[in-house]
Amino acid sequence: MNKLLVILLVPIFLVGCKKGGDLFENPDPNKTGITFTNTLTPSDDLSILDYLYFYNGGGVSIGDINNDGLPDIFFTGNQVKNKLYLNKGHLTFEDISSSAGIEGNSSWNTGVTMADVNGDGFMDIYVCAVVGINGFNGFNELYINNGDNTFTESAAQYGLDFDSYSSNASFFDYDLDGDLDLYLLNHAVHTQNSFGRFDLRFERRYETGDKLLRNDNGKFVDVSEEAGIYGGVNGYGLGLAIADFNQDGYPDIYVGNDFHEDDYYYLNNGDGTFTESLKKYFGHTSRFSMGNDVADINNDGRPDFLSLDMLPEDEVALKSSEGDDNIQTQKLRVDRYGYHYQFTRNMLYVNQPDGNYMETALMSGIAATDWSWSALFGDYDQDGMQDIFISNGIPKRPNDLDFINFVSNDQIQKKLDNTKLVDQEALNLMPSGNVHNYIFKGTEDLMFQDMSNKWIANDTLISGATAMGDLDNDGDLDLVTSNINHPASLYINKASNKGNYLKIKFKFTKKNTFGIGTKVFSYQNGGLQFKELFPTRGFQASSEPLIHFGYGNIQHVDSIKIIWPNKTFQVIKNVPVNQTLTVQPENAKPFNYKSLHKKGKPLFTPVPNNLGFDFTHVEDNYTDFNREKLIPYQVSDRGPAFAMGDINGDGKEDLFLGGSKFIPSQIYLQQDSSFVASRFDAISKDSIKETISAVIADFNNDRRNDLFTSSGGGDFFGESEALLEAYYLQTDSTFSAMELPKFFQNSSVVRPFDFDGDGDLDVFVGGHTITSKFGAPATSHLLENDHGMFRIFKGFTVKGMVTDAVWDDFDGDGHTDLILVGEWMSPKFLKYQGDSFAESNPLDVKGLWQSIKPFDIDGDGDTDYLLGNWGTNSKFKASKKYPLKLFFNDFDGNGQTETVTALEKNGKYYPLESLDGLASQLVFLKKKYNTYREFAGKTMEELFGSELLDNSTLLEVNTLESGFLRNDNGKFNFIPFGSAMQVSPLTVFATGDFDGDGQTEALAGGNFFGIKPYHGRLDSFPGALLNSENDIILGNELGLDFTKKSVRHLGTVTLNGQVYLLAIFNNDKAQVYKINN
Amino acid sequence: MKERLSLLAILLMVFTSCKKEPEQIVITSEEYHKSVDKVIEVMIHDIFSPPVASRIFAYPNIAAYEIIAKKNDHYKSLAGQVHDLTPIPDPKAGDSINFELAALVAHMDLSKKLIFSEDRIESFRDSLYSIWANKNETLFNASKAYGLEVANHIAAWMDKDNYKQTRTMPKFSVNSEEPSRWQPTPPAYMNGLEPHWSKIRPFAIDSADQFKPAPPPEFSMEEGSDFYKEVREVYEIGKDISSRGDESEEVAIAKFWDCNPYVSVTRGHLMFATKKITPGAHWIGITKIACRKDNADMAKTIYAYTKASIAIADGFISCWDEKYRSNLIRPETLINEHFDDSWEPILQTPPFPEYTSGHSVVSGAASTALTDVFGDNFAFDDDTEIPFGLPVRSFKSFKEAADEAAISRMYGGIHYRAAVEVGVTQGRDLGAFIVNKLDMTKG
Repeated sequence: MNKLLVILLVPIFLVGCKKGGDLFENPDPNKTGITFTNTLTPSDDLSILDYLYFYNGGGVSIGDINNDGLPDIFFTGNQVKNKLYLNKGHLTFEDISSSAGIEGNSSWNTGVTMADVNGDGFMDIYVCAVVGINGFNGFNELYINNGDNTFTESAAQYGLDFDSYSSNASFFDYDLDGDLDLYLLNHAVHTQNSFGRFDLRFERRYETGDKLLRNDNGKFVDVSEEAGIYGGVNGYGLGLAIADFNQDGYPDIYVGNDFHEDDYYYLNNGDGTFTESLKKYFGHTSRFSMGNDVADINNDGRPDFLSLDMLPEDEVALKSSEGDDNIQTQKLRVDRYGYHYQFTRNMLYVNQPDGNYMETALMSGIAATDWSWSALFGDYDQDGMQDIFISNGIPKRPNDLDFINFVSNDQIQKKLDNTKLVDQEALNLMPSGNVHNYIFKGTEDLMFQDMSNKWIANDTLISGATAMGDLDNDGDLDLVTSNINHPASLYINKASNKGNYLKIKFKFTKKNTFGIGTKVFSYQNGGLQFKELFPTRGFQASSEPLIHFGYGNIQHVDSIKIIWPNKTFQVIKNVPVNQTLTVQPENAKPFNYKSLHKKGKPLFTPVPNNLGFDFTHVEDNYTDFNREKLIPYQVSDRGPAFAMGDINGDGKEDLFLGGSKFIPSQIYLQQDSSFVASRFDAISKDSIKETISAVIADFNNDRRNDLFTSSGGGDFFGESEALLEAYYLQTDSTFSAMELPKFFQNSSVVRPFDFDGDGDLDVFVGGHTITSKFGAPATSHLLENDHGMFRIFKGFTVKGMVTDAVWDDFDGDGHTDLILVGEWMSPKFLKYQGDSFAESNPLDVKGLWQSIKPFDIDGDGDTDYLLGNWGTNSKFKASKKYPLKLFFNDFDGNGQTETVTALEKNGKYYPLESLDGLASQLVFLKKKYNTYREFAGKTMEELFGSELLDNSTLLEVNTLESGFLRNDNGKFNFIPFGSAMQVSPLTVFATGDFDGDGQTEALAGGNFFGIKPYHGRLDSFPGALLNSENDIILGNELGLDFTKKSVRHLGTVTLNGQVYLLAIFNNDKAQVYKINN
Repeated sequence: MKERLSLLAILLMVFTSCKKEPEQIVITSEEYHKSVDKVIEVMIHDIFSPPVASRIFAYPNIAAYEIIAKKNDHYKSLAGQVHDLTPIPDPKAGDSINFELAALVAHMDLSKKLIFSEDRIESFRDSLYSIWANKNETLFNASKAYGLEVANHIAAWMDKDNYKQTRTMPKFSVNSEEPSRWQPTPPAYMNGLEPHWSKIRPFAIDSADQFKPAPPPEFSMEEGSDFYKEVREVYEIGKDISSRGDESEEVAIAKFWDCNPYVSVTRGHLMFATKKITPGAHWIGITKIACRKDNADMAKTIYAYTKASIAIADGFISCWDEKYRSNLIRPETLINEHFDDSWEPILQTPPFPEYTSGHSVVSGAASTALTDVFGDNFAFDDDTEIPFGLPVRSFKSFKEAADEAAISRMYGGIHYRAAVEVGVTQGRDLGAFIVNKLDMTKG
């Protein structure tokens, strides 16, 4: 009946208002009565030049202040009075601001949140203010609801009348004592002349420091210090999210800080204290962190979250705005000043079973939404997946590079009066950033689809704080944005006639009447959805205190499990959709949080003493980007080499680990119960070499194992001896270095095989790159063994950036063939033809391949090949239609080659690098483009001319996905893995029966850090066990700790009858895992 | 003889032209000053580091000088005197040439090649061109052609100075555990500028390390060590000056000689740069002041600019050679680390290693060159910094100005004493060598 009414009403409604998108309509302010405009009036004394957050906008909050079932709307004004609109139904509102007594007395109001602070069943309102700078007066105001549509300002009485630089606040019960405590978010105004060390955050400062306030019988007491909450001078707090991130029943806190200060991730210890744990669980974060929001986006029952930043999507804005740090500044900030890795883009953190976060914003398609303020997750189209609304825009872009470098000088300089600047003219010269609001449709597999300008109308407004609620009580989620210099926008959702929904409200105990902190698990059709009620969300805003689920076509929800903030729970079974439930505790039983996610015994457990294998790989500090400034990624960090074999002839497998440049390689000999490092002078002597790959085998058939290693490192160049491979013959338990054919390049993999069947082991040596000539093909070699001495087999010519190889009979003809993979190339199948090798099964899957492993993944009895690629979670983009391109040429004719990487955007190719990046190697571009704006938006052709591009060596990649080559009766088809396998480069696969089920599985490792800050860090892959095509278990469920580490090798070794997994990382300590099968 | 021929040509034209009577084109030293000022203006806009800026001054001046030396018997060509410079071509036989005009054309053309924002030079040039063409098209065209021919000759020589190659050489790596090694400084934490400048071909000095100074005091933050004392001194001076406020003489001196082409200012997301002339440009400005006071003619003006700019350019090569040899850490980094984490220098620390002070070396070199041209005790009022809101300062001699420029870096909190004292000596020795070596005037 209800629904019918809605259906009937919709067409009528449509007639009245045409503005909007397919899903959301924007009713006319004159019809709704909501005319609130956050008018900003810059003056000589107050503008973005004086106050860094001049454009952050006001706040907005949705809540039912008169308990009539219709949610009302509260707006704060920066320079104008606050407004309260009473919802009269049918989307009409009455302005009761004046009679309600909430217009406010502070000079500059910011965030606002509603909560029933005194537990009388009526919604109270807390308004934050910035006080004490720029002549701003006042204090944070707490409006206690009198129950008759009037309010009494009572902040002082409650101890909440702070006169500091507040941006937002959230009421929640952190100590589970039943009443609502408060987290107050303040922002720094530090003029960032220097980073300062990270430990500035430990020195409390009243004006700028965040505060945790414990509710002691209606009086809020500052417990920040004892609770372990930072309150320093450089916490630019703009984002605040409360959620029980680690699902132990106690709410945790995430604070997003702007600028160089790290975000804070406070895990609630349950004893009134918190432990800040950002570095432990996050590989990297957004840099200019703005608003954020929490929701379970992959329906695994865990809270995930999104933190916004300001990376432009638009090519012109992108290339004319200040971007990420250069790599040296980043190192300085991290290594010297103690900050964490931060990058300028949105971050989507997917909560993992081991507490780590998998960061997928680039892969998920939501990394770049420009100058973004508020993010709100909601199932806007009610299909069962969370969607995202992101508000957007800045009136003036102060990070415009032309402004920074050129305009400002001529215009501001003259007005420069010591450090005080005032110049309207200068302001006018900053480009505006009236970027439209974004909306994304959530889909399966962590992917989001941009529905901006479809679901919502395109706009040119500056929208900031956003609140969510069901304003017309039709069951779906509506939105309100506070806009600068424009009436607030109502986004009225029309989804309720599309998918089914459930709205849940709570009546909890006396001091937390709306049940803040309540968790809801919805089980339907074998699926799960999870939500947690914390109304302060997004940015400077709070939303209607309700839980909303969308269900698509599902008519009945099997059960709803409600876990109350006091760790009790109740279950409601068989719930019909399309209704609003109001739930209060009834027969609630204690909830055991340990039962929330089933945890079996992990397959892998770290061995505390590593069995004596105390190897730590130390990468030398050579930075490729200092020399080859434009290469897309480093090649100097591909080590260490790793090989297993019996070196001392005792029948036990020993370990060889290659050192990086100037660091000797290591050999660990297996003893009865441990490994012991042993020194071999002939090998240590060659420490200058960076050893990339190694093989222990008997090459001269004397029954003693010898050693063959390849060298690389990307630093040595020309005919440097350090680039040569090494071959050590073992005689009488000493090694002696033997001569090898000389080829000077950075080599990669070494794979031995007796390809000519003459009874001795020949060796394939992969060629990767030529130092300082990234893009020029290296040559791979096949070394033919002639009585223990090697010579180049002439019948073998392969050029390209080979990274891995395998000798395997791919066509089942009984002869072993060679399969190669590499970067900017397709896998190559090579068949030995007696005097030469012939390529067969040509494929067109050009990738940045890192690894290959034979494995029957589909269990059909023939051999498929696992292929590790770059993944899709970086700024690279590639498809068959629009491959990633790399142009290699001497672009400026100075005798030195350059590589320029180009990406497709809207059908055209643009360089990946900025003008300053390109000009650091190609000075002529600075002469050609005198301003950043002239350069911005120029295609590759416009920048370099098609003739120069045509004459360049062109390398391409048309897939970045990892996957496998499926053997379809001898024909190979590439099948990509799902998205969890695409978050990072997959650098290695190992096969074996790890879980003891009698079947062979494959274990994958990955992650790679040799990239510039504009890419970030590819650190999110937790490892994975591949049972079959559709049965892949991530490593964080298996006890593996691979996140934030760059895995290079995985191997198993048996010691005393027990099988162990060895995980070897680049620039990190190796780890031995016991396999518990 | 040459002059007589051109006079004859002009006379011929006067008689043959029936439209407008061709006039003589008179180029004064003021027009040359304007051209130099224009280049400085564009350099400020485009942002060039001090060493690169010094190169942009030198080549156009040499081109102009070589043309003047062709005509004026009082001046001798630098061909064979500076490295690899060959004699410029003669004008085409029979062409009548205004050499001053040709010199100015060459100066503008080479300058245009060296800066980024060409249109700014072009609009200045084109307005001059139209005036000259209007006065005497034939003479203008021939002189312009000759000026451009010489500019090309100089450009070919210039292109072989290794500048292009140094553009693609590795960045300075700051990854090091070495506590004495230079680190990027606040607020912009820029990479070390021009780590390979010593590989640029010098003009007059034999090699970049010919005037290699004694090493700085041995690095040690042990209390009482020479180095520690120097760090402490910078800290104490800074505290003392700051306590006396912006009106103190030391602050005035520091700011007057700041000459930082890119001071970055950050306020939240708002960033901008305040830009000034480089140390080299300041001394080019002093050269202009001296020329005017001396009533120097066009030829002497170009001679003075040329000698000064060679001294400045070689000064930077010599100084940068030492900077990236000693790779010494700036006072700001050490003071923040050891004494006071909120201490800020009065001037923004420029982005390259500390030892020796570039301004000191260059001031030593330039002042020696100018003393050679204009004599010692040449008093002048330095109004170079007026466009940047700074007052006029008066000096009794070039030497006095150089001494003040040197010590200003200590007041500014960006150099230790050794860098300043050794630096100015390094510059004077280098200047004296250049003055001795270059035989530019007759009689």
